[in-house]
Amino acid sequence: MTLTSKTLAALVVAILFGGIFFSSAMGWWQTESTKEAAKITNGEFAGQANPVDIRGSYTFGDVDKNFGVPPAVLAEAFGVKDSNLAAFTVKSLEGMYTGSAQEIGTSSVRLFVAFYKGMPYDLSTDTYLPESAAVILRARNLSSEQSAYLAKHTVPNPGAAPATSAPQTTPQATQAPSAQSTPQATQAPSAQSTPKAETPSASSPDRVVKGVTTFADVLGWGVSKATIEQVLGTSMPAAPGMKVKDYCTEKGLNFETIRTALQAEVDKVK
Amino acid sequence: MITLFGKRIRLFRPKSIWIRKVVQWAFFILIALIAVNHTLAESGASIPLLANASLHAVCRFGGVVTIYQFATVGTFVQKIHQSSFVLMIISFLLAILFGPVFCGWVCPLGTIQEWVSNFGRKLFRRRFNHFAPVKLDKVLRYLRYGVLAWVVYMTAVTGKLIFAEYDPYFALFSFWTSEVSILGLVILGVTLGLSLFVERPWCKYACPYGAVLGLTNLFRVFGIRRNQVTCKADGACSIMCPMNIPVDSKTVVRDHQCISCLECTSEAVCPVAKTVQFATRGAK
Repeated sequence: MTLTSKTLAALVVAILFGGIFFSSAMGWWQTESTKEAAKITNGEFAGQANPVDIRGSYTFGDVDKNFGVPPAVLAEAFGVKDSNLAAFTVKSLEGMYTGSAQEIGTSSVRLFVAFYKGMPYDLSTDTYLPESAAVILRARNLSSEQSAYLAKHTVPNPGAAPATSAPQTTPQATQAPSAQSTPQATQAPSAQSTPKAETPSASSPDRVVKGVTTFADVLGWGVSKATIEQVLGTSMPAAPGMKVKDYCTEKGLNFETIRTALQAEVDKVK
Repeated sequence: MITLFGKRIRLFRPKSIWIRKVVQWAFFILIALIAVNHTLAESGASIPLLANASLHAVCRFGGVVTIYQFATVGTFVQKIHQSSFVLMIISFLLAILFGPVFCGWVCPLGTIQEWVSNFGRKLFRRRFNHFAPVKLDKVLRYLRYGVLAWVVYMTAVTGKLIFAEYDPYFALFSFWTSEVSILGLVILGVTLGLSLFVERPWCKYACPYGAVLGLTNLFRVFGIRRNQVTCKADGACSIMCPMNIPVDSKTVVRDHQCISCLECTSEAVCPVAKTVQFATRGAK
């Protein structure tokens, strides 16, 4: 059998478009993500949505729908200030963190969601989170391996995208309000470079534990979660944005005693 | 047609397969419009009745690079969608039947290289497409398999569409967006520059998708077949082959570089009717 060029042209066009038409009819032709994350097929989390399948085109609302992580938490974690958080796309983070020494983007959201939900994540890859996200995760039940990973894979929040509930004001930053994110700051996550003027601490900008001081403030000053819990004699609240005083009242602890002990720990970090 | 020395010779023959040019133009315009429409759709305005899928969604190679992740995790590499998989299967079907017709008839990057080469041919005439030393050229032709292996490996390891950063095809249809990388634009520029000297330099030396499809030349159903009995051995088929395949020394072209463009056939450059044909085995 011999084919002429015209026959070949007709066959190529017919097979190509016929195939697309057929696949459309069968429901296979999808040019956009369905926004439904693939399920984990085996192991402890079998049947649950897989954080690895989060795409850049997902909105915070899609992440919430698939994984039950509220858009407000994601916004707090990644320093997003948007009037419609549910419609904020994950891929937009890359644009927000263009000045960051390490990429903060879709994979960061995958990591955050996995840790937030207590699900496994491939720790052999280098994925980074902003400090505000790390603060939220440290308050959750992370394994020692995950905590160690987090400690090595946290970068400062950029000045342009301050975390609303996790202000990271340090003496250095306070003294040098024009300081921007630098590689040095990246290597030392506890030493944040967010300028005081751009990230006003809503509670205690002067590293003094007061009635308005939150756990996020204390963590941001460099006191570890373990030390705080040692002072409290109990675990920290799930939401690090909670005021220390409120938590003491809730747990029946003497705020003055806790305040003094925490202040001593803060001063040690100085 | 006249009969000369017992052979039927066509005096006034087309120099090129014109229908192929029509198909190439059509696909180039279609892909360009889809790419522009995708950008317009992101800003809230789009051309009605025209698909506004992303370039990745209509990329056949996307299906190839995501095979590993799909087989192991059950998901696609980021930015790749099910449509890429469908197109990959259709392209493979076409390739098994006709060889890499996608390269020769559909691929817009191949098309634009040919357009630039038209200038090169006028500039350098007989030297065009014969600059590279034969031995070096022969070795370099296998470079694209290295590129293929690297792309598939890196995509599998990272789960990212690594090749998009280097892909001149992606750069060609996204140079107006922020998604395009400088490196991609540079590679596109180099490719088009080299096209002045060499026919389809990207396809010959670097295209990983061409590498995959090229393998089907070894077993495709329809192939380029030369009738030794009627062949005048004038070498026209070999001279005109854009991929420099010595067609006049073969009875069946199984070269991994053939793009099934039919420019060597009796319909185009071969002066003797029914001597070089695109046919199945046993065809007369």
